[in-house]
Amino acid sequence: MSQLVGILVRRIGISVVVLIGVSMLIFAIARIIPGDPARIALGPNATAEQIAKLRGEMHLDENIVIQYGFFIKDLVSGDLGTSLYTNRPVTLDIAQFLPATLELVFLAGVIMVGLGLPLGILAARFRNKWPDHLVRALALLTVSAPSFVWAVILMLLCAYYLPLFPIAGRLSDIYEIERVTGFLTIDTLIAGNVAAFLDVWHHLILPAVALALSGIGQAARLTRANMVETYEKPYIEMAQAYGFFPHRIARIYAFKPSLIPSLTIIGLDFAAMLGNAFLVEAVFAWPGLSRYGVNVILRKDLNAIMGTVLIIALTFLIVNIIVDLLIAVLNPRIRHSTRVQS
Amino acid sequence: MSLLSIRDLSLSFRGIHGVTEVLHGIALDIAPGEKVALVGESGSGKSVTARIVLGLLQELAAARIDGEVRFGGEDMRGFSRQQFAANRGTEISMIFQDPTSSLNPTFIIERQFAEVIRRRNPGASREDCLRIAGEALAETAIPDVERVLASYPFQLSGGMNQRVMIAMALVNKPKLLIADEPGTALDVTVQAQTLQLMRQLTDEHQAAVFFISHNLGVVREFADRVYVIYRGRIVEDGPTEAIFADPRHAYTRALMAAVPRITGMGLPDIPERSDSFDAPQISHEGGS
Ligand SMILES: Nc1ncnc2c1ncn2[C@@H]1O[C@H](COP(=O)(O)OP(=O)(O)OP(=O)(O)O)[C@@H](O)[C@H]1O
Ligand SMILES: [Mg+2]
Repeated sequence: MSQLVGILVRRIGISVVVLIGVSMLIFAIARIIPGDPARIALGPNATAEQIAKLRGEMHLDENIVIQYGFFIKDLVSGDLGTSLYTNRPVTLDIAQFLPATLELVFLAGVIMVGLGLPLGILAARFRNKWPDHLVRALALLTVSAPSFVWAVILMLLCAYYLPLFPIAGRLSDIYEIERVTGFLTIDTLIAGNVAAFLDVWHHLILPAVALALSGIGQAARLTRANMVETYEKPYIEMAQAYGFFPHRIARIYAFKPSLIPSLTIIGLDFAAMLGNAFLVEAVFAWPGLSRYGVNVILRKDLNAIMGTVLIIALTFLIVNIIVDLLIAVLNPRIRHSTRVQS
Repeated sequence: MSLLSIRDLSLSFRGIHGVTEVLHGIALDIAPGEKVALVGESGSGKSVTARIVLGLLQELAAARIDGEVRFGGEDMRGFSRQQFAANRGTEISMIFQDPTSSLNPTFIIERQFAEVIRRRNPGASREDCLRIAGEALAETAIPDVERVLASYPFQLSGGMNQRVMIAMALVNKPKLLIADEPGTALDVTVQAQTLQLMRQLTDEHQAAVFFISHNLGVVREFADRVYVIYRGRIVEDGPTEAIFADPRHAYTRALMAAVPRITGMGLPDIPERSDSFDAPQISHEGGS
């Protein structure tokens, strides 16, 4: 247990350092790309005084180090500044758009793990037999195209030609749901509206599957590869020699040792979905952080860019911490590293 | 009547480079409670013989097996997968070369012990398993049974894990224990202790032992009868005394001449091949 706390503390420490690094980098890059944010925000008819005034309010005439100082000072008090694009506090914008993205990415992650791992186990259990060939062929197919291509394909097939799923959006217009958490799967339940709840899932499935598809293939291939290696280990021969049931050997005794090396990469794949989600959201007109992110970058909306990048970096880091903790829980060698008895 | 009886057993593997013949019609008998050693150099076909007795090689599509293997009088030819598996861990159990790597590193001993116990008693509760495992471990003179059961294999010494393996191997009261070069991965004193323990416990349980070894010194102390195998053929067999007193086959003599004096870790290289090694099998009278 104390090992877990130690890992957690160390990871959080590293993450804070990474976040500071990311914030500095993006802060500098956002200011180097050409264009005057004040001029863009005020439009072509603004007077020189108006622009100068806004530049003053935004501390744009100060040294970049001092500008960063102002940014950190506000950040500490939970203020990411105002977006020039929406004219609202950036924190409010993120609170509105982030849940839509997270809902999509979470579901995609669950699908990736929920399908990828069992398929990998199946392939390894029947390695070099037909279930293995089938899984490997499917996995190769899914990883051979990026998720936005899958998004287009799935949308054409399952929403356009065969109208099984809605083409765009998160929720049909007929439903009015009060936003409590921003996660519509939860908010519709809070509202007690079953029809809306089902409608939310109906909208979620296609983009989530598109986002998950190559991850499923990756996870299946990785699980299979690690398990095939594990099957060569003496402790699997021991399990076979003692007549453990083959499906139990696969699901339990070969899977667990193989999961530990797979998890790091599956965690990275999951985090990479945050990036892929930008394109999938674009295809399905998903009102998530991506549309907001693209718009604020085009408008050189400095505060909003910082906010968006930081929140994505933060999510990325949190996913990594969770994966590290999971590995520590699964791998007794890490958990008991200081308690080795002779 | 033999507990295990092998007749005319041959084995070949189909591979990319054609067919490799590994066993060329071997015969071998083990009576109930008897300790029988199979000795031969690396690659001579000892482990594959053990894997056939367990029915593991039969599952391999590339393996072609001919001949008769009877266990407890029952002909295993034509056994289904389930029938092969039924004997494993119940009537036949196995001890491996390296106890630590033969235990799953991600589960505590208790969990693995319970899985073995449930091969015999599928309905055993956790408490039953703990009690049965505790008794089996106590027989191996393990001092702190509870701690061992709650440990992962890497938290225990090689000697401890070896005791755990022996306890697991005997917990279901098997009729046959296959020991494939047990403990050769351990240091010599621990190896000697565990062999001593294995002998004592198999005597108490009246289990027969199929003992596979490189080490003639150990074989001489442990086995009632010896089979010498050379390149997939039994070249000489007989009671241990008889073979050591009067090795008649050229290969057996070469093996013995090459035994290292003191500890005898492993089989030394036999430098020359000789046509006389391929001479027919010699069987000593007596024993079973
Ligand atoms: N699955 C397999 N496929 C192909 N050939 C195999 C296979 N298993 C074993 N063999 C071959 O069969 C022969 C006998 O192997 P076996 O493992 O029985 O040797 P051994 O006598 O136990 O040797 P060692 O003392 O090194 O363990 C070897 O030449 C080996 O290469
Ligand atoms: Mg061997």
